[in-house]
Amino acid sequence: MTDIVTNKTSTDQAIADRRNFIKLAGASAAGAGATVATAGIAVAAAPAKPAADAQYRETAHVKQYYDTAR
Amino acid sequence: MTALADKILDVVRISAEDSSRAQIYRLLAALLSRAPDGTLLHAIADLQGGAGRFGEVINTLAKVADSTHEHTVRAEYQDLFIGLGRGELVPYGSYYLTGFLQEKPLAALRRDMARLGIDRSRDTSDPEDHAASVLEAMAGLIDGRFGEPATLAAQKEFQQRHLASWLPVFFRDLEAAQSSVFYAAAGTVGRTFLDIEAGAFEMV
Repeated sequence: MTDIVTNKTSTDQAIADRRNFIKLAGASAAGAGATVATAGIAVAAAPAKPAADAQYRETAHVKQYYDTAR
Repeated sequence: MTALADKILDVVRISAEDSSRAQIYRLLAALLSRAPDGTLLHAIADLQGGAGRFGEVINTLAKVADSTHEHTVRAEYQDLFIGLGRGELVPYGSYYLTGFLQEKPLAALRRDMARLGIDRSRDTSDPEDHAASVLEAMAGLIDGRFGEPATLAAQKEFQQRHLASWLPVFFRDLEAAQSSVFYAAAGTVGRTFLDIEAGAFEMV
């Protein structure tokens, strides 16, 4: 298992403990095989509100654009 | 191009555990939103759980998936969630928390989803507090499908408010439902996973 990053909001030790806990329970390996191609069955990214904030947000529409442009 | 590169990096940026968690949430969402087709059923039959209690329940689910047929599971799903007029179970948070559909818990969920940039899919007419919807929302918060991956603190808050508050009871009902065979095993996976998640969030 490669540990690529740490979450900036918690201490490294707490993160390590938490990962170990998940690993020991067996929930770290099982999910990897269960890759489900279920692009947004029930929920999707909310449409961006350009007027409210100018920040970039990936909407379903933008995502589709990138998917086609790939 | 930069935005796309950032997006790809985001996928890499989460740990293997988090990626696995997202997949498990997404798998549970997929099973609850509709009956699995043959492809998904085969994929589930091929799953190999590792050591630990979650590995065991995954192996049981795989075994059941291997010994059942697509049409049998479809009939099971029909009896559980659709039925004649009403299925055996009503998989909505509001119903579990208040006894009624579309009550205050749904409003609270909608507020939180809007804040987190998550919307109901156009492909569904189900209210947002459907079990599949909150499970899929959680998967997206973990792996960043709606933008940036959410912090563990944000994940924890959403999970406790909108999943831990009722899904363990729902999964228990799924395990015990008369119509459940494949879905009983799925219920056990869901209940066990949420229990592990609860334990892990206590460390945050």
